[in-house]
Amino acid sequence: MDLTYAPIEGKSRGFRIMVTILGIMVAVLLTSFLVVYLRGQQVWGISDAVPWGQLITLDIYFIGLSAGAIVVSGLSYVLRREEYKPIGRIAVLMGLLIFTGAMVCVLVDLGRPEKFWRLFMYGYLNNMTSMFALNSIWYGGYILLMLVYLWLAIENKHRLAMIIGTIDVLWAVGVHSFTGAIFGLIGTRDILFSPIKPFEFITAALTSGTALLIIVVAATFKYTRRQLDSKVILSLGRLLSFIIIVLFVMVFFDKLTHVYFPEREGAIFLFTGPYWWLFWVFQIGMGIVFPLIILFHPKAGKSVKGVIIASISVVLGVLGERAAIVIPGMAQVQQLYPGEIQGQWGAAGVFPITLWESLLTLGIVSLVALLFVLGLRYLDILPSGQNTETAKHE
Amino acid sequence: MPRWGMVIDLDKCVGCQACTIACKEENNIPHGSPQEQKRRREIYWNRVLAVSEEGKYPTARVQIISMPCMQCEDAPCVLVCPAKATYRRPDGIIMQDFRRCIGCRYCIVACPYGVRNFNFKDQVPEEYHRPEIPPDRPSIGPWPFPQRVRGVVEKCTFNFHRIDQALKEGKKVGVDVVPACVEACPTKARTFGDLDDPDSEVSKLLASRGSFRLREELSTHPKVYYLQG
Repeated sequence: MDLTYAPIEGKSRGFRIMVTILGIMVAVLLTSFLVVYLRGQQVWGISDAVPWGQLITLDIYFIGLSAGAIVVSGLSYVLRREEYKPIGRIAVLMGLLIFTGAMVCVLVDLGRPEKFWRLFMYGYLNNMTSMFALNSIWYGGYILLMLVYLWLAIENKHRLAMIIGTIDVLWAVGVHSFTGAIFGLIGTRDILFSPIKPFEFITAALTSGTALLIIVVAATFKYTRRQLDSKVILSLGRLLSFIIIVLFVMVFFDKLTHVYFPEREGAIFLFTGPYWWLFWVFQIGMGIVFPLIILFHPKAGKSVKGVIIASISVVLGVLGERAAIVIPGMAQVQQLYPGEIQGQWGAAGVFPITLWESLLTLGIVSLVALLFVLGLRYLDILPSGQNTETAKHE
Repeated sequence: MPRWGMVIDLDKCVGCQACTIACKEENNIPHGSPQEQKRRREIYWNRVLAVSEEGKYPTARVQIISMPCMQCEDAPCVLVCPAKATYRRPDGIIMQDFRRCIGCRYCIVACPYGVRNFNFKDQVPEEYHRPEIPPDRPSIGPWPFPQRVRGVVEKCTFNFHRIDQALKEGKKVGVDVVPACVEACPTKARTFGDLDDPDSEVSKLLASRGSFRLREELSTHPKVYYLQG
């Protein structure tokens, strides 16, 4: 059976209210960016002790979500599984827009955003031994591939979509592995340094990407009053439970290596330091343990509701995991000389949540949501339903 | 080509912070408020750490470690800088080009010694002009910056402007001309010179006594040596 796709009509009250709210949030984003650009990063929570903050956390989280969504879209376009067809286009659109959001995060985070083009000089004016600069190849190619992929999917060019989709899925894995390498290759920071980091990143990306796709698909189909076979959600839930186990194994051995010998300070700081809750509550509790309990529960794991609750938990848990890499990873005091460094130089970095940084973060999330809603409104993304839609929120 | 290095005698250092102040003076580095200092946002190219090694009061043993940039031979900051803003001069000094720096702060993350600083705000312009000091390269502009650029990273330069000027005038670096921190040290704990020259003061000191470098296990090969015992 050939599916037909159509844009949503977007005439309902709910839709208009949502677009208005998201539009206001985008205006807030522009305002807070202007404030930072004029006053400097002093209005954020970052310092020389914790040089990366909310925006880098959101950046790697978004890159992960995007990579995860693109890999899952492969179920529909690369593996040609019919049951995933209704969600294929949504996954590609999500991948593209969330990645755009990630690039906005990087741009805004720079101290001199007007010089961002230096990252994309491919060896001419940038230093290709830097993981940041190397990633410009991955990121630039990724955006182009996703644009072509989405276009082919919408134009129903299945054969070409399969070829480009395959390249894009592999490219997405590369994108996120190299994003992991930005952190994993830094030998001076105990919590970051790990050869397993790129693999941990890609696994975390798959869990969060799949989970967010489940939430978005369920919400979109519900609020636009479209029918979706519950088998799609349930099978994605099974896939999710499998990837979470892989992620658990990765995290377990990564941390085990760090508590073994010779250097334990980083792991001890992460487990018991001021940011213990990021690791234990978010990364382990909400990202791994709680969703696994629900997904393997004989009743909850086989209900759409249960899978969605587990997905929400994963999405929040992985966000916490990203924060547990960035914030404690930087805040830990470096051991410059045997003994305890006294005074300000020996104190663990603090990272307060500040107004303008938080507004920027919320603004970028809203920008992505707005683009997504407008994408649904003007592109043939959703399978055409019999009923009119009311609203959709991400 | 010389290879500039510094030797700091820990037995002579009294932790008076004269080097820190002299550095601020020489390089026009602004002083921060107490809040900025506490939040680790004040710019320090040189800092002095107090490390309590063992024991408790009254038998505690505290080691004072005075730290400029280590000017690593294999510098992680140069490796990770995406914009070629941090680079190594032929004489081994690690420089920062403000015009190239995009402010991504990756170098601060990668630096094993925490000696890099980010400009979190526009600093109040100070009257400070030194037309006699030559810039490292035409693109870097006047040095030291009379007004700093917000949103870029900066660091210790071993007073490259003094070195360049001295070489041009035919003076002997390490004897006639030294960095401001070395000049200001009241106990002469700091010595500066060419590590490759066996007759330089630094080479003689290193040959005479035991020395170590910070975090040697990371193989960054710092060019700042500490004498002890």
